[in-house]
Amino acid sequence: MTAGGVRLAGALEAQRERLLPCVHCGFCLPACPTYNRLGDENDSPRGRLHLMQAVVEGRLDASSDAFQTHIDRCLGCRACEPVCPSGVEYGTLLELAREAAAEARPPDMLTRSLLVVMGSRPLRGMLFIGGRALRATGIAGWAVRHLGGDGVAGTLRFALAMLAATTEAERLGRPDASAVGVAPTTDLSGAMDAGSPETVPNGEREVQAGSVGVLQGCVQDGLYGRLNEATARTLDVNGFNVRIVTRQDCCGALHAHGGDLRTARRLARQNIEAFERAGVDWVVVNAAGCGAAMKDYGVLFEGDPMEARASAFAERVRDVTELLAAVGPRRGAPVTCSVAYDHPCHLMHAQGVTSEPLQVLDAVPGVEVRVVAKADECCGGAGIYGMTHPDLGAHIGGDKVAAVRDTRADLVCTPNPGCMMQIGAGLRIEGSCGDVVHPVELLDHSYQRAGYYR
Amino acid sequence: MATPRELTISSVMTQTLTPTIADRLRAIVGQNHVITHPDRLVAYESDGLTAYRVVPRAVVLPETTEQVSRVLAVLHGEGIDVVPRGAGTGLSGGALPTPDGVIVGTARMNRILSIDEQDRLATAQPGVINARLTEATAPYGLYYAPDPSSQSACTLGGNVAENSGGPHCLKYGVTSRYVTGLTVVLADGEVVRFGGAGTEAVPSLDLVGLFIGSEGCFGIATEIEVRLLPAPEGVRTLLGIFDTMEAAGRAVTDIMASGLMPAAVEIVDHATIVAVEASVFAAGYPIDAGAALVIEFDGTEAGLDDDADRAEQCCVAADAREVRRATSEEERLGLWKGRKKAFGAMGRIAPDLLVQDATVPRTRLPEVLARITEIGQEYDLKIANVFHAGDGNLHPNILFDRQNADELDRVEKASREIMSLCVSVGGTITGEHGVGVDKRGYMPLVHNEVELEMLRRARWVFDPNGNLNPGKVLP
Repeated sequence: MTAGGVRLAGALEAQRERLLPCVHCGFCLPACPTYNRLGDENDSPRGRLHLMQAVVEGRLDASSDAFQTHIDRCLGCRACEPVCPSGVEYGTLLELAREAAAEARPPDMLTRSLLVVMGSRPLRGMLFIGGRALRATGIAGWAVRHLGGDGVAGTLRFALAMLAATTEAERLGRPDASAVGVAPTTDLSGAMDAGSPETVPNGEREVQAGSVGVLQGCVQDGLYGRLNEATARTLDVNGFNVRIVTRQDCCGALHAHGGDLRTARRLARQNIEAFERAGVDWVVVNAAGCGAAMKDYGVLFEGDPMEARASAFAERVRDVTELLAAVGPRRGAPVTCSVAYDHPCHLMHAQGVTSEPLQVLDAVPGVEVRVVAKADECCGGAGIYGMTHPDLGAHIGGDKVAAVRDTRADLVCTPNPGCMMQIGAGLRIEGSCGDVVHPVELLDHSYQRAGYYR
Repeated sequence: MATPRELTISSVMTQTLTPTIADRLRAIVGQNHVITHPDRLVAYESDGLTAYRVVPRAVVLPETTEQVSRVLAVLHGEGIDVVPRGAGTGLSGGALPTPDGVIVGTARMNRILSIDEQDRLATAQPGVINARLTEATAPYGLYYAPDPSSQSACTLGGNVAENSGGPHCLKYGVTSRYVTGLTVVLADGEVVRFGGAGTEAVPSLDLVGLFIGSEGCFGIATEIEVRLLPAPEGVRTLLGIFDTMEAAGRAVTDIMASGLMPAAVEIVDHATIVAVEASVFAAGYPIDAGAALVIEFDGTEAGLDDDADRAEQCCVAADAREVRRATSEEERLGLWKGRKKAFGAMGRIAPDLLVQDATVPRTRLPEVLARITEIGQEYDLKIANVFHAGDGNLHPNILFDRQNADELDRVEKASREIMSLCVSVGGTITGEHGVGVDKRGYMPLVHNEVELEMLRRARWVFDPNGNLNPGKVLP
């Protein structure tokens, strides 16, 4: 057995409780986007668990093509978890398998570089400065329209389309377009820097719902600054005391999913310490992937002296829509539009948060929600899946884009930046308008029109 | 008969497919749809019955009738055995590979070909998931009645092969009552059509009826025409809690004797209640109860409340400790939870699970269950019972650990005793899971040599060389 195999064997042996409940019933097969499209048992959750088991038993090598390919091809959408009658914690097992796979055979250049960049604040800062420049100058949008085809050009085009998709929705709030982009700024730019906790001024509403710190995140901070601001403002209006939490970092989800659990733990530790110092009641997240990872911090540190603190931290993590729904969000002014709503996998399957984002949209009069057909199926975003698995990614993404288009809605709405970028990119490449908003952005816009921020 | 132990140790060397044959198969179904690398075949070594494992020689995943026909013709020409496989959810090892055989899987044949609202018929490929057919026909107010407990995952091809039932088959009958036509590819690649266009009475011997339940030994059904039913207008669901299994059994006997026609009557025993309530799927059944009984009525609204009242009276007369009635769909699912989640809950209390399947006359249920409990004690095994009480279909769940050779041996012995017991009271060795490889050895319990020879000859008519799913069903 290779080193990776031994490690996985050890890791999975420790996880016997998690792996053994799989009774091979196959209920997960129909929920799996890769199995549905490829029909290969190896590309199903049950098949992947079987491959892991085979590595544990020493019948299969973690460096083998079979293990590498099929473990890598998983989107990590965790749609298999809620349908599992035995409650197998697939997501946790996948991360261990990815770690073993990465040890046995290092991942490709693109994945490795991305993990290094995202794990380092200065590097990702530079990446996002470049990204914002490409976006602001319109070069990204232009390239999407003019770059062509397959291979490297296709991958680059997709990357730029994802970047272009982070542009603030132009049609937000149409027909009254004048209201767009004039939201007063709650300046959260200092959150990543050192310094003492501060309190963001809380509007006129009495503070009663508790104190919150907003995870600034990596992509959110770099490309969705407006979403982080909207998160803070809408929580403030709803009675939360929003505090700036300094010295926080990327949540580490990308690293955990990519098999780099060491970096994931380093980043997690940094966040746990930062939010503990701030002493907030809730750690609020507006990206489903980050929220799912942070709710699993306890598992990430299993057997580590840090475990108890990590679990206590995880208990306090909430998606922004959960907090808003819990207090029954204050209604804003009408924003007349129809939205195609899609469920993010890491919210619906990994966190069991399904109705809360819709309750947030309910607080915006005039919004007509059209739930996308098969809204519970992955959009193919899954980090940079569209770049690492161009064919299958395009297939899965294409089906989602078609379902979104079928709604004929004005805007796309989904509460996760990763999905926002993936769906927006798919629409842009097809030449459609790719305006995508987070439910909290819509709520923010509605509050702004209502004058709650004055 | 092959014991689980013999087969668990993969001592049989799997032969690989020669490159020439693999290339010919790839030319038919496409490069990516023939799996030959040994590492990629491991995932196919078991179906839903994991006590057995055999790595196949190759896996082929065709998409159309024509491809299945050409694939079978090639394999037939080479004298290679074929094991058909749907979603691999079967519990009798029907899709267990043979070491020198090739799996022909229907996973990519997942299209519904037509829905005829007027004639209430649908035609689908074999890889279509049972529940998907109902989802697709729901907009027309129609549904597909057979509802195996695995209906969210199992496929129509497998349902035809096993003649699958389900909780509601008490009222509605099993798969054979709904299949009206089949396109079948025979072992040599010949394509034949049986029945079709909803024909009630075929002007010949009923080949559709003969084919259903043939467990992959007669051919591969590549197009399946089924009858659909109008969705029932209303549904009423009751949950009865009893101190003893005997009392629950009396309630079932009374309900059935009173002339009521429930859609489903399901029982979970004390051991199952304990397992479910101790798991993350706790359904709120009292853990000191001897049995819980789920009763469901469906049909036109008028009369449903009366039916439910009468069933409740039967429960009360049989000393039910408590009877709950669902007032919303949410509550209804709650009442069903302890029954539906039983299988998964078992998975959490032991590494391996053998779900047995047998049928006994309804009135003999209490004594059979008492004896099964004794058998469990004699062999020091944990056995929990879940069953379709209305039609006497038992599912003893035997919990074990494959790593423990001695325990595996006791599982085998206990299984055989349970089967003999069911046959001795006038029952049979399967209700709905099929014979497969697991219960092949029990066939002589229910068939004499003359009958077995007739079955062999029937198989010979379809597959003279015996290349299709060898080693299954017939001893």
